[in-house]
Amino acid sequence: MFEKNTSERVGAEQTVPDAARSEQAAVSIRHLSKSFDGVEVLRDVDLEVREGDVVTILGSSGSGKSTLLRCINWLEQPDRGSIHIGGQRIGVNDAGRPMPVRELARVRARTGMVFQSFNLWPHLNVLHNVTEAPIHVLGKSKTQAEAHARELLEKVGMSPKADAYPSTLSGGQKQRVAIARALAMQPEVMLFDEPTSALDPELVGEVLSVIRDLSAEGYTMVIVTHEMAFSRAVSDKVVFLDKGLIIEQADPETFFTNPSTERVRKFLEREES
Amino acid sequence: MNASAWQMLLEGAWTTVWISGVSIAMGVTAGLMLALIRLARIPVIDQILVLYISLARATPLVTLALFIFLSAPTFGINLDRNVAGILALTLNTTAFNAEIWRSAFRNFSRDQREAAMAAGMTPWVTFRRIMLPQMMITSLPGLINEMSFLIKGSPAIAVIGIVDLTRVTNRISAVTYEPLPPILVACALYMAAIGCLVWLQRIAERRANRLAV
Repeated sequence: MFEKNTSERVGAEQTVPDAARSEQAAVSIRHLSKSFDGVEVLRDVDLEVREGDVVTILGSSGSGKSTLLRCINWLEQPDRGSIHIGGQRIGVNDAGRPMPVRELARVRARTGMVFQSFNLWPHLNVLHNVTEAPIHVLGKSKTQAEAHARELLEKVGMSPKADAYPSTLSGGQKQRVAIARALAMQPEVMLFDEPTSALDPELVGEVLSVIRDLSAEGYTMVIVTHEMAFSRAVSDKVVFLDKGLIIEQADPETFFTNPSTERVRKFLEREES
Repeated sequence: MNASAWQMLLEGAWTTVWISGVSIAMGVTAGLMLALIRLARIPVIDQILVLYISLARATPLVTLALFIFLSAPTFGINLDRNVAGILALTLNTTAFNAEIWRSAFRNFSRDQREAAMAAGMTPWVTFRRIMLPQMMITSLPGLINEMSFLIKGSPAIAVIGIVDLTRVTNRISAVTYEPLPPILVACALYMAAIGCLVWLQRIAERRANRLAV
């Protein structure tokens, strides 16, 4: 009931104080703006991701969707606006100053990220790619971290390759390891930056099915993607970015069958053809 | 060559090996530290380091060794000739190594660094666990090149009276009037030392294949 109410009164959201909003949201983005060399890539973006929700961000290339995702864990620094992860502001401390690196690292560790080009560490085998951060960031013991890593590799279907090095894996396998690596930090929210865009078409399915399993398990996820059918199947909310503006935000049924803007209608037509 | 000549040769070889070894170890480490400091771009310090690196790279080893050994008393320091020799070799090789490490930093994959940041690693952990292990392997060909230059340039320290492998051949032939045998043995010993380095490099290359993503 309460949720319905707030989403209907869009204008009234501005009056809800920061803290109250942040508490209920896994990620809360407010008035986010960002320019690269004078070009505005994000313009006053507001976005709420509730715990357990899967939000997919769609838009044509250059719309700012990857930048938005990368702002969430401060890989890009926005020019204006704020981002809270589980109620904690990232990048800026209470005094309004840029966060010291150690503190920033701690907040970042609450998120897990999966990159388009996998970004595995080539000098470590699959198992150690997954255990590296839990051991050296969370301070887990080696045995504990390895036991957890083997569970996660099992989950993404990569147990048989635990001792292999990344250079011997296919793209789909690398991405599944990267997902396990991100999950190993037990993040509150998972960020996916076009996780299947660098894959051969026949390998896309194996990665999407892993992500689908995660959504069924209730993981909070923000996914930038071009896979429309996947977005429709997995999302609780679809966000459409156009030239740095969120021009549509809706549940997947509404978004894909009855979008309210001409721009989204055109986009969906083009994707279907 | 008699037994005492052989003994002198081996002593000379040992002098070359330990002085070079100490200089290499210090030079590789100091080079890495200089590269790290230069990354921080601290205003005045950065310029001083640039000046040091260009001076050290432009000065012949013989000149540097002489300068250090002869100028030390002026500053009231009584410098042992071995220490002066090590200092000269280290100051020279550090400058070259700093540049090798710096380029390894510059070329390090941004993607991998981002993955480390996203996983909550601090810059120090990222450096220690992700960057350094890979930089050691990718820099090794350059570093080993520089190490072999150092060993081959080490006879320069004879100028301040250190009896190294090359100097000792002179001493032997001054007695025997047969310069060829000791020189040939010295060559073989230099080749053995360089051979060890090349062998190290081959191991590194085998491991480097793994890094090709």
